[in-house]
Amino acid sequence: MEAATLVRLLGTVFCLAGVGLCWKIARTRFNALSPEKQVSVGNARMSQAAFWKLAAFAGIVALPFATVAVANYHTFEGVHQVGSCARCHVMLPMVNDMLNPASGTLAARHFKNRWIPQDQCYGCHSDYGLSGNLQAKMESFRHLARYTTRTYSEPIRMRGRFNNDNCLKCHQGMPQFKAGKSHETAAALLADSSMSCLNCHGQAHPTRDQRTPGSADYTKLMEEMK
Amino acid sequence: MSNEDVESGLSRRDLLRILAGVAAANGLGAATWGALEALVPAESADTWHKSVCRFCGTGCGVLVGMSDGRVTDIRGDEIAHNKGVLCVKGSMLRALPYVKGRLTTPKVRRDGKLVDAPWDEAMSLVAQRFKEAIAESGPDAVAFYGSGQLVTEESYTANKLFKAGIRTNNVDGNPRLCMASAATGYTQVYGKDEPPGSYEDIDHADCIFIIGANPFECHPPLFERAQQRRRANQDVKLIVVDPRRTLTAERADIHLAPTPGSDLLLLNAMAQVICAEGLVDTGFIERHVRFSDGQKTVDLAAFKAFLEPYKPETVAAELGVAASQIREIAFLFARSKATTSLWTMGINQRTQGVFLNNMLNALHLITGQFGRPGATPFSLTGQPNACGGVRDVGALGHLLPCGRQVANEKHRHEVEKLWGVPDGTISEKPGLDAVNLFRAMEDGRVKAALVMCTNPAQSLPAADRYRAAMEKCFLAVAEIFQDSETAQLADVLLPAALWVEKEGVVGQGERRYQLIEKLLEPPAQARSDLQILVDLADRLGHGALIKSRAPKDVWNEWRLFSESSLYNFKGMTYERLKKERGLQWPCPDETHPGTVRRYVEGSDPLVSRGAGIEFYGQPDKKAVVFLRPYVPSPEKRSAEFPLYLTTGRVLEQWHTATMTGRIGELARASGDAAIEVSEREAWTLKIATGDKVEVKSRYGALQGRARVTSSTPQGIVFATFHDAKLLINRVVADNVDAASKQPEYKVTAVSLRKVVG
Repeated sequence: MEAATLVRLLGTVFCLAGVGLCWKIARTRFNALSPEKQVSVGNARMSQAAFWKLAAFAGIVALPFATVAVANYHTFEGVHQVGSCARCHVMLPMVNDMLNPASGTLAARHFKNRWIPQDQCYGCHSDYGLSGNLQAKMESFRHLARYTTRTYSEPIRMRGRFNNDNCLKCHQGMPQFKAGKSHETAAALLADSSMSCLNCHGQAHPTRDQRTPGSADYTKLMEEMK
Repeated sequence: MSNEDVESGLSRRDLLRILAGVAAANGLGAATWGALEALVPAESADTWHKSVCRFCGTGCGVLVGMSDGRVTDIRGDEIAHNKGVLCVKGSMLRALPYVKGRLTTPKVRRDGKLVDAPWDEAMSLVAQRFKEAIAESGPDAVAFYGSGQLVTEESYTANKLFKAGIRTNNVDGNPRLCMASAATGYTQVYGKDEPPGSYEDIDHADCIFIIGANPFECHPPLFERAQQRRRANQDVKLIVVDPRRTLTAERADIHLAPTPGSDLLLLNAMAQVICAEGLVDTGFIERHVRFSDGQKTVDLAAFKAFLEPYKPETVAAELGVAASQIREIAFLFARSKATTSLWTMGINQRTQGVFLNNMLNALHLITGQFGRPGATPFSLTGQPNACGGVRDVGALGHLLPCGRQVANEKHRHEVEKLWGVPDGTISEKPGLDAVNLFRAMEDGRVKAALVMCTNPAQSLPAADRYRAAMEKCFLAVAEIFQDSETAQLADVLLPAALWVEKEGVVGQGERRYQLIEKLLEPPAQARSDLQILVDLADRLGHGALIKSRAPKDVWNEWRLFSESSLYNFKGMTYERLKKERGLQWPCPDETHPGTVRRYVEGSDPLVSRGAGIEFYGQPDKKAVVFLRPYVPSPEKRSAEFPLYLTTGRVLEQWHTATMTGRIGELARASGDAAIEVSEREAWTLKIATGDKVEVKSRYGALQGRARVTSSTPQGIVFATFHDAKLLINRVVADNVDAASKQPEYKVTAVSLRKVVG
C-alpha cells in the first residue's frame, strides 16, 4: 500500500472517529455526570466525569487536530502528484497531452524524456522555494474554489504570466542556453518574466482551440486517459 | 459501559450555535477565496490586441499588450497559425515603436543637406519633379520601388496609381530581390503563383527536405514546428542541403554541402535516381502532369533521357557530394509517406533560380508527393507581405493584379475594366525589374522615383554601382528612420508610420491574409504610406482614380477585384479578419473557412467536383515538369578570385537591420557582422578571428573583421548583410536570373587577404 493511501485512510478514520465522538458529546449532559461512578477503560478505571472530560478533549481537540494535520500533509504532498491535477476534468487535456509520447508540447517532451522525473505539473507550476510553495497553495485553493463553485469557463487560461524562474532553475547556465546569445542580452527581461521563454521555445500545452469542448482535438485529448 | 441516563436531545440554542459556526466557517472560506483572487498576479497589460509580427514572411500572430496607451508586452498568439511560437525578434516587438532615430518630420535636400520642411512643401516638390520627368521623357521616366513591408492596401494603391494613373509599369520592389524566382517558378509549373501547401504540412511530414534555407535563424517558428514534428516522431527525417554547416544543418539527420551554385546538379541527379529506380508515381503523372522542355510538350521517356547525364556518379565531383548520399536522399524523398520541401533565398537568389524552383516542384510531382497532408513543395517568404502585398497585388514590373501579366493584352483589358479606366490605359511595355530600374537611374532613363518601406542602398547587389545610380535620380523616400542607407541618398524624406501605427492587411507565405489593426498614433508628423500615396495621386491629378482612400475601403475594392480571378478572396471581409486569425485564399465567400491545400478537392473551392487534384491554373489542368539543364553560374572561381562569397542572415537581425539593429537586446546578441572564413583558409592566409581582412570581387572591395568558424567550409567565405558598417552587398555579383530577374546573391567569386597595418 502506498504512503499516500495510508495517510488518506488514517485521515478518514480520525475524521469519522472525531465526528462520532462529537455527536456523542453533544448528546451528553455533563452536569448530570457522577464523580463517584467508575468507568473501566481497558485496565484503567476512572470516574464517569473524568472519562467524558477526556472524551470531550479527544473529540473536540485531539482528533480534529490530528485530522487537520493528516489532511494538510495529504494536501501539501498529494497535490504534488500529477494525478491530483488530473482529477479536475479541465486539466485532463493538459495531463493527457503530457502523457502522450507522440505529442511535441514542452510538457510532453519533459515527461517523455524524464527531464522532470516526478510531480511534473508541480515541478513547472510552483515557483522556487517556500514562497513558491505557498504561492502554489494559494493558487490551488483558488482553483479549488472556482472548480467547486463552477465559476470558470472552458478552455481555461492561465492568469498572469508564467514565471520564467521555473525554466531558468534548470536551463540557465547550461551550454545550450549559453549558446543563444540573446539569452544573455535579454537576461533582465527573462529574469523578471517580462519576456516569456515560451515565446521562442514553443507550446507548453495543447492550445486553447484544442482544449475547447466540442472540438475534435478536445474529444481526443479527453479520451486518451481511458 | 452504559450511559443511557446521561443522554438527551440537542437544544434549539445548540442547533443555532452550530449553524452559526458553519456560516462563519463558510464566510471565512469565501473571504480567503476573495483575498486570493486579489493576491494572484494579474495580467501584465491592461488590454490585449491580436496583431501580426512586423518582421519576416512567417507572419506570426502576436498578442500586443497595451497599458496607458503604450505597447508594454508581446506574446505569441496561440490561436494563430504559429500556435504561440515567436522568435527573439518577434518577442522584442514591444521595443519597436519606441526605438531612437525615428523620422518625424518631412525633409528636403537643400545645398546638399536634408532639412526639415512642411508636408506640403515636401509633397509639392515630389509632385513637381514627377511631372517634370513625365513631361520631359514620358511616364516611363518615373518609377515606384516598394517592398513586401508595405501593407496590401498601400501596394495596391501604388500599383494602381502608377500603372493606371501615371501609365507606367515601372513598379517594382524588394520582392524582386527575394522571391521573384519562386513566383516565376510556381507560375510556370502551376499556371498561377503562390505555394500550394501550408505550414500545417510540416506537422504531417515524414521527410522534411530543406534546401537553400536556414530556418533556424531566418524562420525560427517554422523550424521549431519541424523540430516538434521530429520530436513527436523519431522516424521523421530532416535533410538539409546547404554549403555551410548552419544552425539548421547542425540539427539535420543528413546534411549535404554542395559547392555554391551547383545544386541543380543535385536536384537533377535526385530525379535521375527516382526515375531509374522506379520511384516515380506513374498514376499521378498520368493524371496530373505534363512534361515540357520549355518549348514543347515531351513525354516521360524524354524526361528520363534528359536526366541520363545527371547520374549521381557523373555529377558527384562537381557537386561536391558523394553519389551514395544523393541516392540516399532521393530514396528518402520519394519513398517517405509525405515529403515537405522548404526553400528560400539559397534557391531563389541564383542565376538558375527559376530552374531550381521548377525542379523542386518537379520532384514532388513525379513522386506524387503532392496534395496530401505533409506532401508539398513550399517556398518560404522573406518579407511579411511580399506574397499578399506584392505578388498577389501584382506590384512588380511585369505583373498585374491576381497573377495577370502586363504582356498579355487580355489581362490588361480585364484590369482596365475592373479599375474603370479606358482600354489602352495600361502600357503594354512591362516595367523595369529592380536591377534594371536602378540601371535606368544610372543612365538617366528614370529621372524620378518614389521608394517606400525598403532600403535598396543596402540591399541591392553591386551596391556601389546602384548607390551611385540613386544619386543621379530624384529620389523621394518614405522612411521610418532618418539615417538608413537609402534615406541618406534621398532628395525628399517622408516620415512614415510603422507597424501598429497604421491599419492594413498583410499576406504571409502560406496565402494567409491577416489584419494589423491600428493601436498607436504615429510619432509627430509621420503618416501612413497610404496617406502619402493618396496625397501624391491628388497632386499628380489622379485623385479621381484613387477613390478608396482609407485602408478598409481599399481592402474592399481589392477584395471585390479578386473575385474575378483564381485568387478569389472575396469572403475575407475586414469584419472577419478582425475576428479570425487570418484566412488563406481562395476564400470566395464569407462562410468559406479558407484553403489549406490548393488544387486539392475538398480544400480548394475552385477544384472541379470529382477531380481529386486539379491544376486549374493551366489550360489543360496539368502541372508542368520542366526539363531544366544545369548551367554553371557566371561567377567562376579563378586564380584571382579563388573563393566563393555567399551571404545570409543571423537569428537576431531582420533584413538590413534598420529596425532590429536599434533594439539593444538584439543588436548586442548579433554583434557586428564579420567575414566568416574556414579554419583552412585562416591557416593558409594566416588570419585569426578579429583580424582586418579585405574581400574583393569583380564588383567591389570591402574591408572588415574576420571570424574563423567551423561552420564555413573550405573555399567559401560568408557574411551577413544586415550590418551597414560591413555593407557586403558592395562586393556581391551583379548577375540575375534570365526569367525572374532576381539577382544571384549566393555566388560571387572573391579573393580574401589579411590587411596588415
